Amino acid sequence: MEKEVMTFNTDSAMDIKAIPSELFHKKKDNENLHDQAFETKPVSYLKGAMMRFAKNKASIIAAIIIALLALYAIIVPLVSPMAHVNSTEYPNGFSDPFFRYALPYNPVNKAMNLGWWDGTDVKTGYNNMDLEILELDDSNYEPLVENIDTVKETVAGRIQTHYKLRVDSYAIGCREINVTKEEYSKLVEYEKEKGIYHTDKGIMKPLRDYTTYLQNYRAELTEKLHEAEDQGITTTSLTETTIGNIIDYMTIYYNQNQRIWYQLGSRESTPYNFSQNSYVIRHDANNKPISIYAMDGDEYVYAQENYGKITVRVDYYDYFTFHNGFEPRYFFGCNSAGQDLFLRLAQGTGFSLLLGIGISLINFIIGLIWGAISGYYGGTADLIMERVTDIISCIPSLIILSICAIQFTGNADLRAAIGSSGIIILSFFVAFVYSGWVGTAGTTRMQFYRFKGQEYVLASRTLGAKDPRLIFRHILPNAAGTLTTSSVLMIPGIIFAESSLSFLGIVNFTTSGLVSVGSLLNEGSAAGLKENPFMLLFPSLVISLLMICFNLFGNGLRDAFNTTLRGSED
Amino acid sequence: MEQKQKKKDIELEETELPEKKSLDVSNAHSDELVLESDRPFLERFKRGFVNFWRNKSTIDLLKYIGKRLLLMVFTFLVIFLICFVLVRILPDRPDSGMKDPAVFFESMVAQGRYLKIINEDGTADYVKMPILMQLGNFIKNLFSGTDHPFGYSYKIEWLSSPADILGSHLAPTVIMNIYVMLVSVPIGLALGIYMALRKNHWDDHVLNVVIMLVISVPSFVYAFVIQYLFGYVWQVLPPLAASTSDVSVFSPAYLRSIILPIMSMCFGSIAGYARYTRAELTEVLTSDFMLLARTKGLSRAQATVRHAFRNSLVPIFPMMLGELISILSGSLIIEAIFNVNGVGGLYLQSINSLDYDVFQFVSMFYILIGLLGTIVVDISYSIVDPRIRMGGGK
Repeated sequence: MEKEVMTFNTDSAMDIKAIPSELFHKKKDNENLHDQAFETKPVSYLKGAMMRFAKNKASIIAAIIIALLALYAIIVPLVSPMAHVNSTEYPNGFSDPFFRYALPYNPVNKAMNLGWWDGTDVKTGYNNMDLEILELDDSNYEPLVENIDTVKETVAGRIQTHYKLRVDSYAIGCREINVTKEEYSKLVEYEKEKGIYHTDKGIMKPLRDYTTYLQNYRAELTEKLHEAEDQGITTTSLTETTIGNIIDYMTIYYNQNQRIWYQLGSRESTPYNFSQNSYVIRHDANNKPISIYAMDGDEYVYAQENYGKITVRVDYYDYFTFHNGFEPRYFFGCNSAGQDLFLRLAQGTGFSLLLGIGISLINFIIGLIWGAISGYYGGTADLIMERVTDIISCIPSLIILSICAIQFTGNADLRAAIGSSGIIILSFFVAFVYSGWVGTAGTTRMQFYRFKGQEYVLASRTLGAKDPRLIFRHILPNAAGTLTTSSVLMIPGIIFAESSLSFLGIVNFTTSGLVSVGSLLNEGSAAGLKENPFMLLFPSLVISLLMICFNLFGNGLRDAFNTTLRGSED
Repeated sequence: MEQKQKKKDIELEETELPEKKSLDVSNAHSDELVLESDRPFLERFKRGFVNFWRNKSTIDLLKYIGKRLLLMVFTFLVIFLICFVLVRILPDRPDSGMKDPAVFFESMVAQGRYLKIINEDGTADYVKMPILMQLGNFIKNLFSGTDHPFGYSYKIEWLSSPADILGSHLAPTVIMNIYVMLVSVPIGLALGIYMALRKNHWDDHVLNVVIMLVISVPSFVYAFVIQYLFGYVWQVLPPLAASTSDVSVFSPAYLRSIILPIMSMCFGSIAGYARYTRAELTEVLTSDFMLLARTKGLSRAQATVRHAFRNSLVPIFPMMLGELISILSGSLIIEAIFNVNGVGGLYLQSINSLDYDVFQFVSMFYILIGLLGTIVVDISYSIVDPRIRMGGGK
């Protein structure tokens, strides 16, 4: 001990000697020597926490990402034109089934021709006919982007050709639709204005007249039948009934595939052996397809009156743009109903965030009051309250949520009163508030036990402070940091629980018009991970980002409010 | 006699391991002079076993276990009561998805849950009994030895008992989770040890970030990624679990089909074990007794394995036990994604088809597993580390 002091003394003496002499000056007689006031400002508890938080780069980045996601959730539903179409026509949000499962389209990737995230899809297994149908498309947009690979293989002695093609999922070709007369005149006006009325580039395309063609084709087949009968050949695949079937199936095929504007024939695998559901494109002498456009003399027929409405055949992409005032381009693709996933994900993120924050807030308040009473008063009150929380926390909220969902959904009065969206929100609130506050209550109780016996509380009590003052003015502010952290860390837990429960379908979102990230995941997995992976990709990304960022942010807050870390990183 | 024993120990110690003569501080709670971990394993086991039953604290422990079990039964009964009331007030839907509503009503009457009222014109009306009377009848059925005290499944499997249905769904869940534990415990512990030994090196930092990400990202996201890549894009493994009616749960074909769900469950589990092990081990590695172990001549590896790792296992072992118990409850999400025919799937099915008796039975099973898990974890703490006296007074 003695020795240590000695060494210290000699060290400091040497230090003093090392100070250059010009720094010393003689004390003047009228000079007062006293301690100088601190030039720096004192650092309060909150300010210190802020400073420590600002040093934690990961937390700052996490906070920024959360803010960006929140902005996305707020701004997109405000500016997206799809959020502002007629709401009586689309009660569950704008949708267009013709664009169902449209792939994600990023204009930047399209412009740079990167080959991914540009609304195109590469698929194998196209045959000659599929390729020709895509090539012969008569709409304004080319569905076939690229022929990547041609595979020829011999199957059962016949050479089969398969193609690997890149197909634009937005070039869905022409569709026959019925419009009102006003709409038709508007469409004509619009086309005339643009100078595309009845031209190749017009929205309206010539109507097809496949009924006439199929009547002719039936006659042709019947002739073939007679021919075969004359030659004494009888096949089961060419009879009066099969001809009827062929024509019926072809009618359906024409009706379903509205981009086909040329003559199809039944595939004749061996002479007089006609297939009922496999067709070939018929060609003329110049190897061109033979059109079946409806003709009125030399003119194409573009419109036909049909039960008070007008049937037109339109390039659907352009018609959509004309009809709705915006282009059908979907940044994150479309779901099975043809709804924009970019918009829906924004709404879902907003719902999940709001639910997480709202429930955390309620849990925080309930837990705070409960824990404060239990911790401050202690004794019998504490004992009873602890047993209550014990029992409550033993029942999993999953079970409560299931019971709520069944009970509320089956209750017709409740449904009439708050609607099915209200039922979903109520179920979540009951299930998550039910046991969610127990954690906060426990933390608060511990903090109160820690602080209530301290001298400053005793001092205040001696000065006549009442219980509320002691609780809210003296004890609670000290516990604020810990409690804030625990409630921030509660948010990702609730978001995660909500998304997994709605993903599992325990809470059913389908008819409510509400969207959450979990319900989008549910939709995505129903649409098939194999067929439509993009529907799961974007919601998964958002939920992962939310979870990571909230956890990082919460951990940063915890470190910031932990005063024992003060100065440890300097 | 105890003195003699101790003396013998010291002699033994000196003959076998002559280089270790220093006092052992790590076992400061006992007044023995020999490192427990330096004895031969069998002897250690024998001594431990004998000591365990001679010890007064063992009696305390048994008392504590008894108390906890009693409390558990009480808690379980309270929860059961709450769930019973909540489930029984749900509206029955005999009209939707039920094979034969008449049979349903008859069995409900037999169980004392409905009252049959015969009208003047001979038709019968069925009225739900008050909850309290239903409860009374339930207790009566329970003790009178009826075949199906817990009711019947009316939708999932017509008129079979919920316990049988649950039993038939247990095997896939348990098998899958055992594989998960077999894979994730060794990898997780090894990773945690590696990180603790390389603390504050670059690889520790990288692993820390990775583990933080893995723990934060929800397990269903991995499940999607793994299923998509391995199952659909590369097609190396079956994307969905095989049906248990086609192949036996114990067959290699079934194992092959549940590799993907096992993989997706392992990620989170490994990350959890690694993080926990790292935290515990770094704390133990800085303890004073580690310094002593090194001072008396143990190499770093010896000291780490014999002293640090064993001590760090104290909180990790109960965690593993808890997980072992909870394997019975399974994972709802992973089972749903990979179509595993397990307990989680049954639970979802019972909710979606409104099969209340099955729902109630599976719920109570979940709760029981949860309660048992906490008790086993608490008790195992005091068995793994005798210094921890659970339930001891102040």
